[in-house]
Order: sequence, then C-alpha cells, then structure tokens
Amino acid sequence: MMELRLKPKVSGLSIPLEAEVISPDVIAGKTLREVEELRVYHGNRAERLGEYFEVEGEVAAEPGEQLIVVEGDVSWVKYIGAGMTAGKVVVKGDAGMHLGSKMSGGEIIVEGSVGDWAGAEMTGGLIRIGGDAGDLLGAAYRGSPEGMRGGCIFVEGSAGYETGTGMRRGLIVIGGDAAPFTGAHMNGGVIFILGRAAKRLGAQMKGNGSLIICLGEVEELLPTFVYDTTYTPTFMRIYLKTLSEKLGIKRAEEYIGRPFRRYRGDRAVGGDGEILVVERG
Amino acid sequence: MPVYRSVVCPFCGCLCDDLEITVEDNRIVKVRNGCAISTSKFLHHHENRVENPLIDGKPVALEEAVKEAAEILKSARRPLIYGLSSTECGAIAKAIELAELIGGVVDNTASVCHGPTILALQTLGESKCTLGTVRNRADLIIYWGCNPLEAHIRHLTRYSAMARGLYTSGGRKDRYVVAVDVRETRMKRVADLFLKVNPGGDYELLSALRAVVRGYGLDVDEVSGVPRDVILELAERMKKSRFGAIFFGLGLTQSEGRHMNIEAAIGLVADLNHHTKFVLIPMRGHYNVAGANTVTTWQTGYPYAVDFSRGYPRYNPGEYTAVDLLARGEADAALIIASDPAAHLPYKAARRLAEIPTIVLDPKRSMTSMISRVVIPTAAAGIEAEGTAYRMDGIPIRLKKLMEPPEGVLPDAEVLSLIIEEVMR
Ligand code: SF4
Repeated sequence: MMELRLKPKVSGLSIPLEAEVISPDVIAGKTLREVEELRVYHGNRAERLGEYFEVEGEVAAEPGEQLIVVEGDVSWVKYIGAGMTAGKVVVKGDAGMHLGSKMSGGEIIVEGSVGDWAGAEMTGGLIRIGGDAGDLLGAAYRGSPEGMRGGCIFVEGSAGYETGTGMRRGLIVIGGDAAPFTGAHMNGGVIFILGRAAKRLGAQMKGNGSLIICLGEVEELLPTFVYDTTYTPTFMRIYLKTLSEKLGIKRAEEYIGRPFRRYRGDRAVGGDGEILVVERG
Repeated sequence: MPVYRSVVCPFCGCLCDDLEITVEDNRIVKVRNGCAISTSKFLHHHENRVENPLIDGKPVALEEAVKEAAEILKSARRPLIYGLSSTECGAIAKAIELAELIGGVVDNTASVCHGPTILALQTLGESKCTLGTVRNRADLIIYWGCNPLEAHIRHLTRYSAMARGLYTSGGRKDRYVVAVDVRETRMKRVADLFLKVNPGGDYELLSALRAVVRGYGLDVDEVSGVPRDVILELAERMKKSRFGAIFFGLGLTQSEGRHMNIEAAIGLVADLNHHTKFVLIPMRGHYNVAGANTVTTWQTGYPYAVDFSRGYPRYNPGEYTAVDLLARGEADAALIIASDPAAHLPYKAARRLAEIPTIVLDPKRSMTSMISRVVIPTAAAGIEAEGTAYRMDGIPIRLKKLMEPPEGVLPDAEVLSLIIEEVMR
C-alpha cells in the first residue's frame, strides 16, 4: 500500500472541519498538490485541505492501494472515511463525528476515541476503534429506516446511546460497556457486548435473526423480553473463535462452552429477536 | 374604549380564541375568559419593555443596530439563529431566509421541549386529530407526564377532560380520565385513575402496555412501580374505549429515554387503532412552537436543527441543535428571536451565548437581552402585530393586532427583513 500522511497544522478547532475528502476513494489518483487543494468546509467557508494539514507521502493509483495516515488528534474533523469503498485510513488519535459513515469497503483504524454516528449506515468494511465510541455507532440516520447493513465495527472501549439502532446486518463488538438503547429497532445483525450492558437493550427489536450477546453483566432487561431457555449454542463457539482470531479479542475464548440464558423480544412490537446473556459463575 | 372579541391568546399552545380584551389609551385594562397566566400576561404587557435598540447597552438608532447585527452575522463562520416559538409564522419564515443567506444554523425551542416527539413522529408516523375532535368524541383521556392544571390551564375545560361536546354532552362524567406522572400532582384529583410511575420508568410502562394490547401476558408483578393488574386493566379499558386520546408533555419527552419514550407511546397508539380509535397529541408549551416546526419544515424539509453551512439544508438533532452547538463552543455568533435561552438553556450553553456576539429581538427585557451585544425591541405578535400561529394540534390560527407598538418599534418580521437587506448589501 502507498502511504499518504496528513499532519494536522492546527489543534482543537472549536468549529469542526468537514473533510469527507480524507478517503482513499477521493485521494487515489491525485497528485500531492491536488490533494492539498481538496475542498474542506470550516463552518460556512470552503477551504483547502492543505490549510489544515501538511500533506506528504505517496498517492496510489487505485483506492484499494491507498493508505492514509492522519498523524495526531483530529476530534475536530468530521466525516473521515465517510462513504469509502476500499483502502485504509489510520487515525493516530481521536476522530470527530460521522467517521466511516455509509462506508462500503476498506478499513479504518482509530487509535483514540470517535464522536457520534461513527459507521452510521455502513454497508461493508471494517472500523476499529481503540478508545470509546460516541452515541449512535452504526445507527440509522434520523428519518431513515435502516442502520448498519453490513461490515464490522469493533470498539475496544465503551459505546454510547443507541448503538446499532435500526441495524439490518453486520457485526458490532463492544469491548467495554454499552449505554442504554443499544440495538434499538434492530432487525438483523449481531451485537456483542463484553462489558456491562445498560438497560433498554434491544428496545423495539423486530427479529430477522437479530442477536445481542452479552458476555458481561446486564443492568436490566425490558419487561417485554421473555426468558425461554438456558443452553450452550454451538454457533457461539465459532463466533467466539472468530472474534479471537480475526479481531484479536483473546478474552472471547474464555466464554467458549459457557451456557447462555436466552430471552426473546421485543414483545412491545411483536418482535422475535434474541438476547443471549452468559451464565455467571 | 375598544373591546376586542374572539381574541387569540398568545401565551400557550392552547391558543384559546375566545378572549375579550379591553384597551384604553393604548394599554390593556381588562381581560375576559383568559386563564390566570393569560390575564396576568396581558395586563402586564406594557411592563419591562426594551425601550430602545441597544449596542453594548447604549441606546442607538434602529438603522445602526440593524447594521451592527448584519455585520456580526456576515462575518461569523458558524452563526446560530434560535428561538422562534413565541413569534408569528412570517417572522419564522424570514429567520430561515436569513439563515440560508448567512450559511448558518436555524433551530427553534422545540429542540429543548418536544424535539424528541418530532424525532419519534418522523420514525413512526402519527395518529392525530384536532382538539375539537377530542372535545366532541373522546371517552378516554390520558395525560402522561404533563400537568395542564399548571401549564395549559384552560385545556381541561375547553378541549379535554371537562369539556362538553357533541357526543360527550355530559362533559367530565362522560369520560374516563387517567393521569400518569412521577409524582402526585393536582391532576390526581381530576383523574379517575392516577398512576405513579418510577422516575425514568415511562419507557418500560409504555412497552408493557403495548405488549398487553398485542395480546401477550406479563411475566412480572409490576413495571416501573405499577402493579400488573392495573396495567392489564388499563390496557383493556383502552381497547374498549370508543375514542381515546393521550396528551403528553415534558415529563415524557425530557425524561430518560426521550424520543424513545415517544416512540413507545406512538407505537401503543398505533396498536390501539387495531381495536378502536386512538390519538396522541403533544402538549406544546410556547404558543407557536408548533408553527416554528411547521414553517421550518415547509421551507427546508426539516422541523428544527437545520444547518445551511454547506448551502443546502441538513438536519441532525444533537449535532445542529442550539444547546449542543453552544455547549460544544461551535457557534461564533447568535441571533435570538423571541426567546430567552440565557435563562433557560443549561449553564454551558448559556455561558457560550455570553462569550460570543449575540443579537436579540424581543419586546421585553430578559436575561438574554442583558448579555447580548445588540438588542432590538420588537412588537409583540398577537398584541401589537398580526400574524399566524399554530395550535398544539397543528391548526393555524390568525392572531389579532389590538394596539399600536411603542413608537419606532417594528414586528420581528420587519426587523428581520431589514437585517436581510443589510446582509445582502
Ligand atoms: S390556556 Fe393558554 S391559550 Fe388559553 S388562555 Fe390560558 S395561556 Fe392563553
């Protein structure tokens, strides 16, 4: 992969920068000069990417060959990697809202934390977040019926409110704690929570194989989720092994062979989704 | 001594349109039919007025204040226009025009009251009717997280529990009334059934009701402090009613769960419509907050939290809402119209307003006018200026002009037009 480095020239802007151009799809095939000239938006002013970042390194011919490394904290930059289809973006710090939203392929690695709406409505690709995620991770945008439709998000830390709202397909793994309403309106897809799951998990979840797996403690389930059995699902072994091998979450293997309590719901919407909670002990 | 009849009251979302107001020497001296809030507001209308346009607290000519306002807005990168719930629709339309022109964000106070309601309505749709229909038909009325006895005083007698209508000629005795709240309010005395729900437990209770209405049993003894039997009975009563209505307020929209609470309520009402006729109506506070949402929607496609920074409207509550924009320190200038955010917004947001150049258009002095760089007095809509306002159920009603504003004072819409002209110059 060809590596292009973006070094922030400023730190902590109070008005965030909208820079969906920080994406292999936009940058591949351009010259360094052209990259510097790419349009970014600071409030109501359109400006050059080069005003905010030093641009160096190499540009690839194809997005799939392009690696973009953002060197430093860019919690003030929105839309990094939004809509990308291939290639790789690495952020060596925090990133702002809408990171990787609507992306369909490629990989984004954020070493720090991300703002709200990361991976919203994504359809493919991988997002790895070293720190915490804000609210509405992998969620549906307002007014839109479906959230994440494919791909994978792994947050090492905690995730905010309404993670995976309206999720249709794909996988979200939360290494830390999950805030209330995780998996609300879920209609497919899988969410793993390794830390503590807050209340209102899977609220208004419909079914379609929607699955929330809690490996940690659960604060409280809605009265409209109903317990049906305790069992040791065979597929869990494959899932946990995959988490360990593909995403490097070694502690997932500790849960292999452990029984799970199964709850179905959300009956408030006549739903048939499942929440699996590992048996303590 | 002119007496105006069928005056519309511009003080809450009920927009009662049967007031009689006597004006003497350009001052309101008598109010008939108004509630305590309305009467007091009308009678004290002349007090506490902003007398002159001000820049940094010093009186200036209107042209100068308009020029300064235009200068501030033009040079800002992230200007915010906010308020709009206590003015008429013409002014709201002008405010949106200005927001587009300066590439700013326009938000109204719905974002701190019924914004969650709108989010939920956008997700699930809405089963609604006019207040007149409730008055004429409803035999089951539920007040959830709201207290009309304190906030919408004539609601009960004009439109809901006590009102006598076409098919409810017995008034109160033709209806079954339920109130749900986290603490015992005076509504307990009005209601046939009062449910005290644990704080933050509304979502669970609504979900449980939904499941029961759908025909499922309940495996738990109580939900959020309400016993199972009571829930089963209420669900049955809802299904058996001829026409049911749920009115809800900030107790539901601003408590834990926010828009998800409203989604649960909408879902419940939708499910009930498989059995009978049921509607849901938000208790809107400021008299034209519903108009602010309506006008913003017809002009931009979105009801509040609209950002024009990229030249076209974008919508995202939480990102472009005034509180968030201010608390994050993003807004670098603000124009406040007919609202007092310095007094009502959370501390961090209010403090930001004091740090940036703020312009306020208001008939009266307020906390916000005290911290603003530019203050422009305006004529009060519904008293000194005409205009249209939307009632809480979405019915547009024409406001009357009862008297002349103080000399040289213009309505909001005209001041905004002057600012627009100056920005375009
Ligand atoms: S209920 Fe509201 S609209 Fe009616 S008179 Fe009182 S304040 Fe005015």
